[in-house]
Amino acid sequence: MSDMVHSPYIDVKRMSYCYPDGTQALRDINLSIDHGEFIALVGQNGSGKTTLSKCLNGLYKPTSGDVIVDGLNTRATSIVQMVRRVGYVFQNPDHQLFSANVWDEIAYGPRNLQLPKDEVKARVEGAAGIVGLTADDFEEHPFFLTKGMRQRVAIASILALQPHAIMVDEPTTGQDIPQSLEIMNFLQHLHDEQGYIIIIVTHDMPIVARYAKRVIAMGQGQVLADGPTADVFADRAALAQAFVEPPQITQLAQRSAHLGFDARALSVEELVQQYFVLRGR
Amino acid sequence: MPPIVEIENYSWRYLRAEQPALQDINLSIEEGTFVGVIGPNGSGKTTLANSLNGLIPGQYQGIKEGTVKIAGTEVDAYKPGELPQMVGVVFSDPEAQFTAMTVEDELVFGMENLGLSLAEIRERLDWVTDLTQLKPLLEKPPYEISGGQKQRVALAAVLAMMPRVMVLDEPTSMLDPVSRKRVFDVLARLKRESHNTVIVIEHNLENLVPLADRMILLHNGRVALDSETGLFFRQAATLEQAGVYPPGGIAFFHGLMQRGVYTGEIPLTLDAAVAALEGLIENRRHE
Amino acid sequence: MNKTLLGYVPERSPIYAIHPFVKLFFLLVASLFPLFISAPEWNFGLIIFVLLLMLYSRIDMRIMRIYVPVAISMASIIFLAYVVLGGFHPEFIEIGRLLGIRVYWERIRDAIVVYFRILPMIVMMVFFLNTSRERDVIVAMRTLRIPFVVTYVFAMALRAAGMVIEDFGIVRQAEQARGFDTHGKSLPYRLRKYVMYMIPLFALSLRRAEEFSNALIARGFAFTGPASKIKRADYVLTHYRFTRLDAVLTALIGLAFSALLVLRYGFGWFTLDRSVFLPRLEDLLLHR
Repeated sequence: MSDMVHSPYIDVKRMSYCYPDGTQALRDINLSIDHGEFIALVGQNGSGKTTLSKCLNGLYKPTSGDVIVDGLNTRATSIVQMVRRVGYVFQNPDHQLFSANVWDEIAYGPRNLQLPKDEVKARVEGAAGIVGLTADDFEEHPFFLTKGMRQRVAIASILALQPHAIMVDEPTTGQDIPQSLEIMNFLQHLHDEQGYIIIIVTHDMPIVARYAKRVIAMGQGQVLADGPTADVFADRAALAQAFVEPPQITQLAQRSAHLGFDARALSVEELVQQYFVLRGR
Repeated sequence: MPPIVEIENYSWRYLRAEQPALQDINLSIEEGTFVGVIGPNGSGKTTLANSLNGLIPGQYQGIKEGTVKIAGTEVDAYKPGELPQMVGVVFSDPEAQFTAMTVEDELVFGMENLGLSLAEIRERLDWVTDLTQLKPLLEKPPYEISGGQKQRVALAAVLAMMPRVMVLDEPTSMLDPVSRKRVFDVLARLKRESHNTVIVIEHNLENLVPLADRMILLHNGRVALDSETGLFFRQAATLEQAGVYPPGGIAFFHGLMQRGVYTGEIPLTLDAAVAALEGLIENRRHE
Repeated sequence: MNKTLLGYVPERSPIYAIHPFVKLFFLLVASLFPLFISAPEWNFGLIIFVLLLMLYSRIDMRIMRIYVPVAISMASIIFLAYVVLGGFHPEFIEIGRLLGIRVYWERIRDAIVVYFRILPMIVMMVFFLNTSRERDVIVAMRTLRIPFVVTYVFAMALRAAGMVIEDFGIVRQAEQARGFDTHGKSLPYRLRKYVMYMIPLFALSLRRAEEFSNALIARGFAFTGPASKIKRADYVLTHYRFTRLDAVLTALIGLAFSALLVLRYGFGWFTLDRSVFLPRLEDLLLHR
């Protein structure tokens, strides 16, 4: 019997989450995430975006409703099984690095999965290669690396688990622009070349405009907007409720719509092109 | 009156570093100016900030050349405890800067260190909590307030010491956009109401550019660009080379400039950008 | 109930009307009481007294549940230690045998006496921690004229502890996110693995330490030199007034302690011989 109904990789059904002390963090969330998506989860601090992302990989179990990943219900599945499917990179790499050298750090995940030695080796080398670490780096002590390098080691250690989806919490906070672009380009490469689902939790709107295909805006524990990037940026009411603004270039486009510009522009290049089109008339 | 900040031929190399963090820095800042300092990570911005507040050479080991003068006196000539009264610093990590167990204690700490009387403390406390809108949070401990609120507390705590120069080293890099805006609102208010010299180091230019009178670009430890803000942002090529990405509005006009269709002033705010764009389109229509 | 670093404190309580100094003074002095009291029934009465104080202060008594396992395990340890390793005197009365070891009455008696000396001290500490916010402890110390540096180091330690506790939660999740799972694993395994949490916590503290000390200097703080000797206004003390009630309570506590000493050394109260409970227990165990 062939399954004609396409089921999403991550399916969130009427999910709510309450903290142990009683505060309601998430209310009745419904979402589905398919293979090949590049999603940005936006919203102010306290909106529930971090809580939601932790519910998606089983770090938090919903207090009601279900989160189904790859057919498995997070409530009924062990964390080890979940992280093989959805990886989570924390914002501050220092929260997770504890090994004496980069190799062991990246190998930690695969070893937790009880994989055989040569498999572990293959995965470590593979993951390191993707993030641009070389054999020289393997002996380094993570504590003494630069912030950017530590972040790469952290990402590699999640990649070594070979999940299908990766969630990254604030990939660009504290970085300068060239560094931010480098990290985002990795993630884009993972998405385009390796087929990963990428979910970034961020408030860096220019980055969202440039890389994310879909935006989920959250506020007060609920999903306020969910759709293609340009659509969500056009939904001023929802964004205002989420305490989020579109990137400045989109705002410029929106406020110049009366001049003939397309209010859905996402990049400087787009807007400049439009200018020449308008100018030509 | 000498400029409040006078840096001449200044170089600093951290001990055990191969390259100097700062080389041949010459800067002169008049009192009351609002200065923005930008540049890629590793360009020496934090080193510069720490050179102004005495942490360099006080806390860090290295080799210094040249002079750094605050209000005419060399930074290392100040007696311990005197320089914080002249130069206040706000750092980027809201957690690490919060050293007391309630907001009020944090605000009062610096003032007590200066030996102020109870009456003076009360007065300054009132002023600073009003400026930063912290009154409702005074009794709260650090684990009950957000990162953005902590940064406002840091700002207030430093302002309460009434330094003549305020240095802020990436004060909003760990904050969300709403908190970021609130911190800059305080800075805007400060700019309007007082005569402080404010030096802000930032990556996020959107909020900084409207406030800055002058912008300095650091690149590889040197001053690559230093001018009044409007002129600064005309230098599109230099900025791009140094890895600086201006806010969308400015970048758009750079794009036009680079294609030779725009020679006017670079608008520094979104409103100005819209107005400029309207002007351009209207002009085309009239041709 | 509000959660502080030290425990859960009630939102409203009559105890807040009392100056923190008095609370600290009570803790310090009353903790000395059991040292002079041997008869367990008196120490037991002391425990009841403190528990009543806790009720009066509107502490949520459910927190005492946390301490029950502690009390039980401590009792077992003390009991076993004394029974197996207690002193010996030829006039000791043997009650019976436990797994081949001779069980002497005197050892049991000593275990009970010690246990009932330690328990009130713990209950008093719990009382103190659950009625004091961090600021109260600092104010109490300053009122005692403890040097500012000491009180400030204490405050910073509290702050640091708070940051570590927050970090710990995140570190645990970060490790889980890499497949670290202690479900169904043995206790020694868990303990071994918990060591690895220490490393990120340590690394985070080290990185913060630099900014932390820079922040202190930026606030004009100096550990040594002329700047450290200025007279501080101690603004925080303006929130607390030392009232007549506080003076009366302090005097009462002092008097109670003096009375204790007089009764004990002058009249022989609270000693083992004067105990009413112990002889009854002895009779019971020896089947008389």
